[in-house]
Amino acid sequence: MYSEKTILKHPWSVRIFHYLLILSFLPLAMTGIILYFKPLSESAVNLAMQVHVVCGVILTIDAIAYLLIGFNRVILFIKRIFTMSVTDIKWFMILGGYPQKLLLKKKVTVPPMGKYNSGQKLFGICVFTGGSVLIFTGWILWAFPHLVPGETVYLLGLLHTISAWILTLFLPVHLFLGIYMFDDFKAMILHGKIPYEEAKETAPLWVEKEIIPISRNQC
Amino acid sequence: MEKQSYQYIENPLQVTRREFITIGGMVVAFLAIPTVWITLVTSSSSRYLQARTKGLYQDDTKAAVRVSHANKSVARYYKEFGGTPLGHISEELLHTKYINRTKVLS
Repeated sequence: MYSEKTILKHPWSVRIFHYLLILSFLPLAMTGIILYFKPLSESAVNLAMQVHVVCGVILTIDAIAYLLIGFNRVILFIKRIFTMSVTDIKWFMILGGYPQKLLLKKKVTVPPMGKYNSGQKLFGICVFTGGSVLIFTGWILWAFPHLVPGETVYLLGLLHTISAWILTLFLPVHLFLGIYMFDDFKAMILHGKIPYEEAKETAPLWVEKEIIPISRNQC
Repeated sequence: MEKQSYQYIENPLQVTRREFITIGGMVVAFLAIPTVWITLVTSSSSRYLQARTKGLYQDDTKAAVRVSHANKSVARYYKEFGGTPLGHISEELLHTKYINRTKVLS
């Protein structure tokens, strides 16, 4: 039985950033697939392009706003995702114990993790670098193609497509595991809080090294 | 504002000053590299446009005949063959149509 103690895992700034990310990236991925395969009529593809551009602008504003408002959190995020050790190799060798848990109903010992497990770190690296590449190349391709040599525009288009496919293919995995870890899902979508005991089980190093009681912080 | 119904938070001092400066510097560099690249490409493109504009103006200054209606050859064409400007024959022979060649280029 869990106690009622909770940790504020996702403050409002993170949640608003994530809401806007959902609102912009989901239509971006869908319209991006339409633009790639062009299965619809010309007018429908044109409409998809317009939606793609509007959502791209929203995503850019969201990313820049968060970079400015939550610069310290961005730095912390980068530090966490790029900090790798032998533990991460051990985690990847058993894939965090998820296949065993989901397919064989078997619980295996998982190496202790920080705020993000190794899979989340890999996803974080893809989101951070891929997202930056998508925003940068997207703006050049849409707004400034006439300023850049044709060959460069072609290469940027290729880079945009590859990054977009990587992130789009990651999306269902992220959605599935996000909902599977339901306390974390509620924390990100609703109130930002995660039960202390749950966090201690899934991210013991985070709780041990980085979590402090409110009173101690206020002193 | 967060309603304080939680008992624990992340320690806000998890990043040391050295780490903050290092990672912050890397982020700024990460943002600056494409900005510098765009500026270089844009200025080089702008230099090319300015040089071309200057060249065209120089050609115009040097040219003996600067406008088509003062060109004797053009006037002779209309007088002996084309009829009037924008007339049927001129429309058929001289006007061009738009052809999308962007796919050929890429």
